Amino acid sequence: MQQEVVLALLAKEPSHGYELRARLRDALGPLGDAMNDGQIYVTLARLEKAGQVAVERAAGIPDRPDRKMYALTAAGQRRVAEWLAEVKWPKPDLAEFHLKLLAAAAARLADPVAIVDAQRRELLRRLRDAQRAAMAEPRESEAALLLEGIVLRLQADLRWLEACERTWTKQKANPRGDR
Amino acid sequence: MSETMNQSMLRARGLCKQYGRDASLVRAVDGVDVDVPAGETLAVMGPSGCGKSTLLHLLGGLDRPSAGEIWLDGQRIDQLSERRMATLRRDAVGFVFQAFHLMDELTAVENIELPALLAGRSPRAARRRASELLDQVGLSGRARHLPSQLSGGQRQRVGIARALANAPRVVLADEPTGNLDSEATLDVLRLFERLHEAGQTLVIVTHDARIAATADRLISMRDGAFVDDTRLTGGTAGNLGALVGLDG
Amino acid sequence: MSRALLIGRLVARDLRRRPAQAVLMLLAITAATTVLSLALALHGVTSQPYQHTRAATRGPDVAAQLGGPVGMGHIPGHAPQNFGVPSPRQIQAEARSLISAPGVTGHGGPYPVASVILRMGHLGAPVEAEGRGQAPAALDQPDLTAGSWVRPDGIVLERTFAEALGASVGDRVTLDGRAYTVAGIAVTAASAPYPNMCFPPGGNCEFDLPTLSSLGSANIGLAWVTEADARSLASAAAPLADVLDLKLKNPASAQRFVIDYNAAHHLLGSGGLVAWQSIAYNDGLLVQDEQQVLTPGAWLLGLLALASVAVLVGGRTSEQASRVGLLKAVGATPALVARVLLAENVVLAVVAAAVGLLAGWLAAPLITSPGAGLVGAPGAPSITAANAGLVAAVALVVALAATLVPGIRAARVSTVTALAEQVRLPRRRAALIRISRRLPAPLLLGLRVIARRPRRALLTAASIAVTVTGLVAVLAFHATADARLGPATSGLGDPVVDRDEQMLVVLTVALVGLAVLNAIVTAWATVLETRRSSALTRALGAAPWQLSAGMVVAQLLATLPGAVLGVPLGIGLFALANGGGARTTTVPPVWWLVAAVLGTMLAVAGLTAIPARIDARRPIAPVLTAA
Repeated sequence: MQQEVVLALLAKEPSHGYELRARLRDALGPLGDAMNDGQIYVTLARLEKAGQVAVERAAGIPDRPDRKMYALTAAGQRRVAEWLAEVKWPKPDLAEFHLKLLAAAAARLADPVAIVDAQRRELLRRLRDAQRAAMAEPRESEAALLLEGIVLRLQADLRWLEACERTWTKQKANPRGDR
Repeated sequence: MSETMNQSMLRARGLCKQYGRDASLVRAVDGVDVDVPAGETLAVMGPSGCGKSTLLHLLGGLDRPSAGEIWLDGQRIDQLSERRMATLRRDAVGFVFQAFHLMDELTAVENIELPALLAGRSPRAARRRASELLDQVGLSGRARHLPSQLSGGQRQRVGIARALANAPRVVLADEPTGNLDSEATLDVLRLFERLHEAGQTLVIVTHDARIAATADRLISMRDGAFVDDTRLTGGTAGNLGALVGLDG
Repeated sequence: MSRALLIGRLVARDLRRRPAQAVLMLLAITAATTVLSLALALHGVTSQPYQHTRAATRGPDVAAQLGGPVGMGHIPGHAPQNFGVPSPRQIQAEARSLISAPGVTGHGGPYPVASVILRMGHLGAPVEAEGRGQAPAALDQPDLTAGSWVRPDGIVLERTFAEALGASVGDRVTLDGRAYTVAGIAVTAASAPYPNMCFPPGGNCEFDLPTLSSLGSANIGLAWVTEADARSLASAAAPLADVLDLKLKNPASAQRFVIDYNAAHHLLGSGGLVAWQSIAYNDGLLVQDEQQVLTPGAWLLGLLALASVAVLVGGRTSEQASRVGLLKAVGATPALVARVLLAENVVLAVVAAAVGLLAGWLAAPLITSPGAGLVGAPGAPSITAANAGLVAAVALVVALAATLVPGIRAARVSTVTALAEQVRLPRRRAALIRISRRLPAPLLLGLRVIARRPRRALLTAASIAVTVTGLVAVLAFHATADARLGPATSGLGDPVVDRDEQMLVVLTVALVGLAVLNAIVTAWATVLETRRSSALTRALGAAPWQLSAGMVVAQLLATLPGAVLGVPLGIGLFALANGGGARTTTVPPVWWLVAAVLGTMLAVAGLTAIPARIDARRPIAPVLTAA
């Protein structure tokens, strides 16, 4: 997933390393800040090895990653084209949490309702942060749209957590017996 | 103890509200204690029928508790006469309704200036204040529009402006975005953020997590009682990138 | 058949759901129908009273007074005439001449008549006491309405006279100092009832002016005693006269007979002849007065009842609009919707008509029994088919009118619009809102209440105008009556005035009752309609007293012009009823009028304040969340 991101940044035209960083920040806004600078170059190196990115070395310039010129190879362009045509959607990882609750209940390790509440609180905090970030962005910024998406996802997850709380509270009241 | 009482803008002890009797007895609010310091935004969340709207009505003096005590800015209010209560509602409390409840035959600015007129301010001062508030909520171009000519979000913004007309000490909002789409919700959110920054004490009842997330504190309610009380400020969630799987 | 059943069920369910409004509507229409049926019943009775009496008493075609006084005739403005006192033989000769006159087929009497002063308690009145036998006469036998016929020391009073005196059977009176007991009360067709008995061209009575002025009343009463008592009551100052009743072959020619006989003969003393048509005319004068009171009064009441119904119907119309929408949404055609609404209103109208007719029929005797010499009046008002039909028609017209507006809307308006317009949004009256901004809170609120429904304010003004018109007309009546009668002297009332007053009292009570109902209905309807906005205004900080005051202000603002308008209208109405300018109308004193206007406004304020206050004290939240 990470690799596609970098490939996407090179799709329009070849660019230097530092340009890539800047473009990433523009596209992702505050989320872009979270990314480690070094990771971009690691990814670029991997892509180069995979033959999807070509590196042009400018003459007379020290051999530093951010000064290098990167460009998509034909293979890289093909990969980008395939990626654009895909309709795969990032998978939400609800199964893990669901299993967590079942395990806690079965093994009597913790109160599932308490787990749900703790998770809710965490998600609410995240929602708060995402919302704040979304509102801080100027209206026309591209990043604002991304942040809106994050907020709505969190909202949906919180709704599911409310449902979990309702169900597990009822479970506590009328236990169906051990599974 | 007295310190907290002085700091508390809104305080309730053992608040109860029940309807019906015997077999049909319903406890809408069942022994609730609340403490809202000045300047805090408190969100109350819960499923429908949990009593959160009733709680808000009690705090705002729109209904009488069956039992319990309520203090607003240090003054006991649950046993005031209707007349004193009305004065309180006029000067100290601003209410925002889910259904907006604007007067259909008054324009936006006339709706907003009404509490000021009722408080005895001169028509000119009231009109000036109303125009300012209309500006603050971003609707100065719609001063002369009737509610029927405004969208839901715009109507609610007028409602919020009206609640602020007499510079209340507490603003109580009952499902303010219940009837709004997400765009309008964002507008209302922004307003609440601004109010919060200006130091307004705010109590919001909602089942929209987005609104709740703007609060300093979140209380969960079920079956008339509080079941959870969380601070949302202080300690963020870590880097945002984790939300979208951008790390690692 | 199932369609009719469906309609029936819908109607029943709806009436049960809103019983209060249905009851109010019923009351208002019933008031209107009651008044109407009462007026019609009374109209029937008072239009032909004399004929009843004449038939029941076998009244004479010509009544003759023979003999007469020594003193002056009591007719003001005429030169005193000195009549010689005829002797009994002369009187007998005259009687024989009359009995044998051409065209006469029968006679009664001659009966002796004594002119005496009757005293009862501190009241005194001049009375002509006719002497009669125990056996019923073939002609002119007075019909008893109470007690029994003459007996020694027993006197029978003419009915209107008895009422004026306030006498009843068993009372003790004195005639010229001699003790008598009231044995009975009766009516006769042979003379016009008190106090018109002695009006020309009727009998010429024989009291002299000094006697009359000492008693303070020129009105002379009629009574019957035994022949022996009558003869013993004669005195030198007031010798006996005689009364002779004649029956003609051709009753219609009675007036001709009188003219011819007077041309051919000269009656002795202060004797005179009077035809039954002239007596009828005199009797009729009384009745005309009644009708002049009754007719405008009935109109006023009718208008007021209509105003109440209009307010109620107006209120129901806006609910019915939303009901129409709901019915249509579940698939009812406009025709079915119209039928349901019509059925509901027809049910109410029919019940109201029936109750109104019954109430009118029961109430009519209460008004007619203190009546003139009307025989058979108690119980005489009957429900004729015509009356019943008219009342029912009026009630049905109201029902149709109430259905018309929502029915048309049902046909024209699309379902979605009807549903969406659950509450008819008030139109914006920018000018009133602008003005109200500058006023203190109660006035601000009051003006805005009017601004929401100005038509209702107009209707209120109209009903108040009607009420005050009625009240002022009554005051004008009193003022005129007082001026006409002069200071109350003998204590004996003028039965014309008395009876008019009684009817006016009844009409005034009915008018005030309806006005009160109207005020309550309007106030209640307004309070109910403005409930949501009142609750909202209180949530924004208005105190309950400010809202009550506002509602009262709104009503008063509507009431004042109506009340002020009612004053000249009332005076005008009375002047119209009072002979259309033929008789003088006294304008009531200013402070009476001011009191009437102020009193009305105070009453309206009070009646409005009650529901307003009750509503203003309810908890706010339930009202707002229900809205």
